[in-house]
Amino acid sequence: MKEMSNPLGNIYVSQRAIATIAAQSALASYGVVGLAAKNLAEEVAQTLVKDPTKGVELHFDGRSIGVDLYLVIEYGMRITTVASSVVDAVRYQIEKATSLPVKYVNVHVRGLRISDTD
Amino acid sequence: MSNSFEIHPSIGKQTDLGTRIDGQELKTLVEAGMTWLKVNQQMVNALNVFPVPDGDTGTNMLLTMQAAYSEIAQSGERNVSKMAHAIAQGALMGARGNSGVILSQLWRGFARALDSAETMDAAMLVRALAESRNTAYKGVVRPVEGTILTVAKEIAAAAEQELPQAPSLADLFESVVNAADAAVKRTPELLPILKQAGVVDSGGKGLFIILEGMLRHIKGQPLEGVVTVQPLAAMQLEESMEAVEPGQDFEVVVDFRPYQPLDLEKFYAELSEIGTSIQVGEGDGMYRMHIHVPTENRYQPIDYTMQLGTVTKVAIENLLAQMESEGSKSQLSLHPVEPGQIAVVAVAPGKGIARIFASLGVSAIVEGGQTMNPSTEQILAAFENLPTDQIIILPNNKNIVMAAQAAASMTVKKVAVIPSRSVPQGLSAMLRMEHNGDFDTIVEDMNQALGDVETGEITIATRSIEINGVKVNSGEVIALLNGQLIESTSSIENACLQLLQKAHTEERERITFFYGQNISKEEVNRIVDSVRAVYPDHEIELHEGGQPHYQFIISIE
Repeated sequence: MKEMSNPLGNIYVSQRAIATIAAQSALASYGVVGLAAKNLAEEVAQTLVKDPTKGVELHFDGRSIGVDLYLVIEYGMRITTVASSVVDAVRYQIEKATSLPVKYVNVHVRGLRISDTD
Repeated sequence: MSNSFEIHPSIGKQTDLGTRIDGQELKTLVEAGMTWLKVNQQMVNALNVFPVPDGDTGTNMLLTMQAAYSEIAQSGERNVSKMAHAIAQGALMGARGNSGVILSQLWRGFARALDSAETMDAAMLVRALAESRNTAYKGVVRPVEGTILTVAKEIAAAAEQELPQAPSLADLFESVVNAADAAVKRTPELLPILKQAGVVDSGGKGLFIILEGMLRHIKGQPLEGVVTVQPLAAMQLEESMEAVEPGQDFEVVVDFRPYQPLDLEKFYAELSEIGTSIQVGEGDGMYRMHIHVPTENRYQPIDYTMQLGTVTKVAIENLLAQMESEGSKSQLSLHPVEPGQIAVVAVAPGKGIARIFASLGVSAIVEGGQTMNPSTEQILAAFENLPTDQIIILPNNKNIVMAAQAAASMTVKKVAVIPSRSVPQGLSAMLRMEHNGDFDTIVEDMNQALGDVETGEITIATRSIEINGVKVNSGEVIALLNGQLIESTSSIENACLQLLQKAHTEERERITFFYGQNISKEEVNRIVDSVRAVYPDHEIELHEGGQPHYQFIISIE
């Protein structure tokens, strides 16, 4: 997608690059223990090649970015609070890195990881 | 949730922890930690990294501790592990913000380590602190060091190291608090962004405060009525304007630099002879004193502070006159709604902005903004109080969108959340409203309208920092475009003009200014006049927004 231009040329940032930012900042968020494949096809593909954008779906409408995230969260936490921090972090990191507006970040909690049972 | 609890009578008296503590003693410690955090809440809030006053770590941790405490407030349980599990449960349910979630995990690990023990001794406390650390670290794939996690780690390590010297529980607690203090002070070395901003980590500091409160209780030191001085940036003077009681006719604010170190206890005592609502802030040896006094005493605070130091600035305001004019303007005429119609709920950060939303046909206003986000419950209550089941909500702040979505998922009514991230976006969406229109069409229109507007914000930096290549000094005026810091300058006028230029205003048609409560009408008019000179063909509107912290919110369409 075209990002900006200056008199010497244009700058393009691919959706994959932005999806990688989203994946990395989601993984750095407290409470998130993994990204989940969106569907079976992706899960199968994952076993062959490791994709740094696993669990991220990016939508670009020409002006702003939309993100869908598929996450695994640690069991025993308040999920809404964790998800809300992820949304803030992902939005902030993408906007900081690309200066493109992020229209939405949807979080889909695909599963919980149980490290300890209480 | 209530924001205050009745304080246990035993708080503040010296306690002999002995060699084991039971459930009731743990409860008292939690209460002490919570009380001390409440006293220091604003100080923790002020430790924010971004140069805009948006810190709420202290508030989030306090709300989490209060949720934990309300779970056990009525409990007479003597079994320490049952008590700890109840605390962990309460913290989990009430976790607010990132720091709140981590705090709830610390409690969860703590409770798990106690298993089903009746009482806790020093060795068990060490194990519990270790398990707290383990549980907290399991919650994240890539732990960031220099945060509350690091502090939890250092605490556990210090406790393990101290135990073989067979200290008493009280001694162990003391070394834990010292370790926490040292760890907090080291956070800027581990996390560059903290160093850049010149602060320590706020979550780590919050954890230290909780533990320090527990230790103060053990040592019999007071937790309340303690004289504290907040950083200047954290003073929220505008809030003291809400209600004026008899004898509070004038508000006096004096800035001064004391000749010698201030004896705060004495200072407060003398001031309380003169007036009420006393607040004192400090920054770089400079003090700001705020007080409400009856008419006849209005010069006394100034005379008094002149004896103590060099007075640099004095501001006196007639509160009664101000309240009268506020009162006449504050009548909101919300749009009445009938069953079956579509109603809009808007979150508004100031009275003026609330009035503008009301004039555009909003049926309910939830107060809230940058520094105090409304809770999901408050938003839910607004939904439930409307007599219709078709509702649209405009959160008008990026931090409130989630709470609005959570509230939407909890009601049986049909609610659409329009993710408006600023007041201008919300107003732009509101212009598409039709009370008898088709719900889905309006929602779609409103969502589209969000992209039609650029949002500018002008505020004062509360600390020095460098972000996005823009260097900001504390006290400078900064401009944000769509939430991004783009300019730092010395005057509000300059900030406005730079912001408009960067927002490509020349390609737009209309500029709307909403001025905040911390800027004078004269200055507003002067700035708007110079904007008019630069953009003579643009339609320029001016409204009183009444929002705190931000001198201007600017909408560019």
